[in-house]
Amino acid sequence: MLRFLTIRLLRAALTIVLVVTFAFIVLRMSGDPALLIMSADAPPEAIAAFRKSWGLDAPLWVQYVNYFGAILHGDLGQSMRDGRGAVELVAERIPATLALTIPALVLKIGLGIPAGIFAALHRNSFIDRAVMFAAVAGFTVPSFVLGLLLVLVFAVQLGWLPSGGQESWRHAILPIVTLGAGGAAVLARFTRSAMLEVLGQSYIRTASAKGVPWMSVVRNHALPNAAIPTVTIVGFMVGSLLAGAVVVESVFSWPGVGRLLVVAVANRDLAVVQCILLVVAVTMVTANIVVDLLYGFLDPRLRAGVKA
Amino acid sequence: MSTALAALPATTRKPRATVPPMVAFALCWIAAMLAVAATVQWIAPYSYTALDLRARLHPPVFMGGDWRHILGTDELGRDVLARLLYSIRLSLLIAFGATLIGAALGTLLGFLAAHLRGLVEQVVLALADFQASMPFLILALSVLAFFGTSLTLLICLLGLHGWERYARISRGLAISAGAQGYAAAVRQLGASPWRVYGRHVLPNIASTLIVSMTLAFPEIILLESGLSFLGLGVQPPETSLGNMVGYAREYLTRAPWILLSPAMVIVMTTLSVSMLGDWLRDKLDPTLR
Repeated sequence: MLRFLTIRLLRAALTIVLVVTFAFIVLRMSGDPALLIMSADAPPEAIAAFRKSWGLDAPLWVQYVNYFGAILHGDLGQSMRDGRGAVELVAERIPATLALTIPALVLKIGLGIPAGIFAALHRNSFIDRAVMFAAVAGFTVPSFVLGLLLVLVFAVQLGWLPSGGQESWRHAILPIVTLGAGGAAVLARFTRSAMLEVLGQSYIRTASAKGVPWMSVVRNHALPNAAIPTVTIVGFMVGSLLAGAVVVESVFSWPGVGRLLVVAVANRDLAVVQCILLVVAVTMVTANIVVDLLYGFLDPRLRAGVKA
Repeated sequence: MSTALAALPATTRKPRATVPPMVAFALCWIAAMLAVAATVQWIAPYSYTALDLRARLHPPVFMGGDWRHILGTDELGRDVLARLLYSIRLSLLIAFGATLIGAALGTLLGFLAAHLRGLVEQVVLALADFQASMPFLILALSVLAFFGTSLTLLICLLGLHGWERYARISRGLAISAGAQGYAAAVRQLGASPWRVYGRHVLPNIASTLIVSMTLAFPEIILLESGLSFLGLGVQPPETSLGNMVGYAREYLTRAPWILLSPAMVIVMTTLSVSMLGDWLRDKLDPTLR
């Protein structure tokens, strides 16, 4: 178990290093930030001073080491636009994003998993087809289309709910429904195929053949085995709590991390983009580790560190 | 139990299975979209940049407009139908290009990993893990932040989406093909690795790869339209489906028709390709289910 955990943590660290390196390489390949921020006809002294203040005059490997060192000290630089700390800028947006993504996650799990299980247990029934059709539709309707259609119906036509902004809890309803519906569809599809896979296994037939009631077979044999692939996708959803609402936040003008990212990308505010990239990577990696630990809990075969 | 039925050998099927009506409809829709993309310069009623300033925000026929602008016009008096047809071409072009790049890159890396093993394989697998563990939209947005937006960059960037799936599939299948004898036999006869993988392994795993491509295609359309919607994908004056929806948002209350037609095309196209992909997967490759 300890060995498994160590390897897992090392791989997680490797992923973070890859993300940081990716950010660094892309940053340095993209041209001279000094010329991007200051206009090309700025006086050479001003450009040199800018380079010096951002450490852009050192050799590349020194910049890379410095960059790493700064990150380890929690210094992710300042927004090149208004000079405030990137970490501070991102941190103040996080609560707004979580206010959308956590209720949406609850909606996804509460709707998607039961629908998927039910569809699998009643395969080829009318309800199965209806669930699958809804699931495919939920996957193929992009969130911005769904969001705008909801706005069109509930805000413009009926006037029940506001179309955007963040003044009250009523403003959160449409974005949460938009986020939750798409995710629930994905989850229902995954759960259904995981359940079908498990229900086709010989141990299910054995359990039924020896006379175990069907509901107990499902509860004690099918559900725990189908949980493993489902936990993977839920883990991915938990990991993208911060990053999963980029488009929806833009549709509803919700001032969260995703909106900040889009604005920073459009303004080429590199420090903020890197900070978000890193925060998202750390969340993702942490969620993946938790999922791996859950595997050990769900599947005794993996507990001894033996890969099945 | 219905699962027992599914486990029956395939020989009990009818010799010529019919195409389900939904799939037939999906095929028709895809054919129509391809036809539009191929012939847009002849069938579009106007150029996608042509302005008709006296008919700005003109409603479509079914909302009280007239036949000059069947689907209405936008805020600059540009014909929505013409823009829609050109958008279909650009969005399909990007999605096709990106899908092919992703499949080619992933398959090549997968074969390299299977052939060379050792360090190369570990590096490919680590990169695949990295790619799979990060939300692609965030990676794409960071690259766009640094490089700005251009059509070539957009296609290449979307081509990187999903390469890791092809890499994993082709690596796994190539390794098991190597153990199956036919690949070993060709190698014993002195064939080069290019010949072994290109002429013998690739045709054997092609159906699985094609199914993966049909499943990746709608995801790429959605990504492109999402990025364009955010204003970070296709740039004006070029027009794509997502880009049209993005601009339509400003006129949601006054001119909802600008939104509806591109939104419907996105949904119908991704739905059709997904249904086709699911059907192909069930037909060609039961292992992917």
